Amino acid sequence: MIICDWQTALEQHSDLVQKYFMQKAVKYDEDLLTAQHVANLTSGLFVYVPKNTVVKEPLTTYFVQDATTKADYVHHVIIVTEKNSEFSYLENLTTVGSEKTTANIIVEVIAGVDSHVKFASVDRLGTNTTTYLNRRGHLEDNAKIDWSMGMMNDGNIVGDFDSDLVGNGSHSEVKVVAISTGKQVQGIDTRVTNIGRHTIGHILQHGVILSRSTLTFNGIGHIIKGAKGSDAQQESRVLMLSTKAKGDANPILLIDDNDVTAGHAASVGRVNQEQLYYLMSRGLPKKVAERLVIRGFLGPVLAAIPSKKIEEQLKVTIERKLVDGQTDE
Amino acid sequence: MSTLEIKDLHVSIEGKNILKGVNLTMKTGEIHAIMGPNGTGKSTLSEAIMGHPAYKVTKGEVLLNGENILDLPVDERARAGLFLAMQYPAEIPGVTNAEFIRGAINARRPEDDAISIKNFLKQLDETMSVLDMTEEMADRYLNEGFSGGEKKRNEILQLMMIKPKFAILDEIDSGLDIDALKVVSRGVNKMRGPEFGSLIITHYQRLLNYIVPDVVHVMMGGRIVEQGGPELAKRLEDEGYAGIRDELGLDIKLVDEDA
Repeated sequence: MIICDWQTALEQHSDLVQKYFMQKAVKYDEDLLTAQHVANLTSGLFVYVPKNTVVKEPLTTYFVQDATTKADYVHHVIIVTEKNSEFSYLENLTTVGSEKTTANIIVEVIAGVDSHVKFASVDRLGTNTTTYLNRRGHLEDNAKIDWSMGMMNDGNIVGDFDSDLVGNGSHSEVKVVAISTGKQVQGIDTRVTNIGRHTIGHILQHGVILSRSTLTFNGIGHIIKGAKGSDAQQESRVLMLSTKAKGDANPILLIDDNDVTAGHAASVGRVNQEQLYYLMSRGLPKKVAERLVIRGFLGPVLAAIPSKKIEEQLKVTIERKLVDGQTDE
Repeated sequence: MSTLEIKDLHVSIEGKNILKGVNLTMKTGEIHAIMGPNGTGKSTLSEAIMGHPAYKVTKGEVLLNGENILDLPVDERARAGLFLAMQYPAEIPGVTNAEFIRGAINARRPEDDAISIKNFLKQLDETMSVLDMTEEMADRYLNEGFSGGEKKRNEILQLMMIKPKFAILDEIDSGLDIDALKVVSRGVNKMRGPEFGSLIITHYQRLLNYIVPDVVHVMMGGRIVEQGGPELAKRLEDEGYAGIRDELGLDIKLVDEDA
């Protein structure tokens, strides 16, 4: 198994880097952002799990974006899991400093035949960091990726979370929780594309908006012609805690084959006043009551995260982000 | 000893006047019952005292130990000593019953003096056994998927754990079979004492066989029209509300009465 930084990967595993770096999942010439990413890349991580290798303990990484100076952060992660391997991963993104900076982060997960990847992330980039975050899975026959992402950033961000279900029988489960606070704008596009036959792509994303913030969920389920027996399902929900916040949940289903199943649910709603009243009638202050209602709202996504430890960690981060967000109001 | 005074209370909901001058005074150590036909404003009274945002007080006062509480938000009223056992408690997924009750207790204590987990669990176990509740009820999400009877028990569990000065029980007997009614009554009777007062709202006299009130109020047409001892409840059961209305010469249409 290989776990190394970007420089080491280039020096010692250039064959693997050449084979996988922006070749299978994200292409270097897709758009201006990917082109800029290649041109300015400064740091990253390379993980290679050989075939038949089962990694029991999750690999936990902490990436710190340096905003003590005005340097842009361009960071790349490649995870390759070869045939019949298993790997789990927890990524933490944070910021030090408060200079106005940008971050361009691409994560590629190339899941080989019959491999299983559990990918979790807790992102807490700073208020003055404007971010493009692209996480994409390329799944071969019968591969599976479980994505669990906590978008707890404080700055403006576009997140592209995509799964290309290329191999027959491949399966992607995408869970996203997002909280927008202050004047923050978060746009999250989550796409699953069913290309192989009998592929499964499920999206579940719940978000909460406070103050004057904005959160947009686009859920895209795309079934390509020929992906017979495939299934694309999605649910996107946004809970508004402030009348000045803006929320959107857009379900987009693009179906080019007949022999498939697909479904969507989307909603943007206010906090249930009866729940708030009930909690407050027992003496809980309004803000505490709101946080409990939010926890219930995010519950179905959190409960679906395959690791208890990550679920707990995410709960703590959510609580902190909400407490900070409420004091802004 | 604490007092709760309701003075000339007028309340409307969605522009419709429901309470038209309610007067009532009670002290801790006393159990009062409010009886009345459907649609007469009993639940409106309880929700207005607690502070439900949909109920607008247009006139009058509610005083707790002489202080008007109507300007206080709901949570402050609760911490001042009021409790409402609701007819339709909300379901809160993701928050366990035990965690919620502990939070409610700690909301009444200084931040550096939270109740110890050991102490809390001991009290919770004891109280749940009084109410014949199984242990797993503590770890379930608050009211989520609870049956009607389980929700009512859970309201009384919270009441007994929080120990308010005054508890309003809004039709705690509705939907309960006789065994559950006895259990719920046992809980309330255990609370009886010089530091606790309760205002029990009910349609039926049956509950008052188990929780015997000191004072019975009859409410009709948005006002309290008659007061008496426990025998008044028995009389109502025999004669119905129409009897007392006609005797008092009130011009009130009863919802369930044929035209």
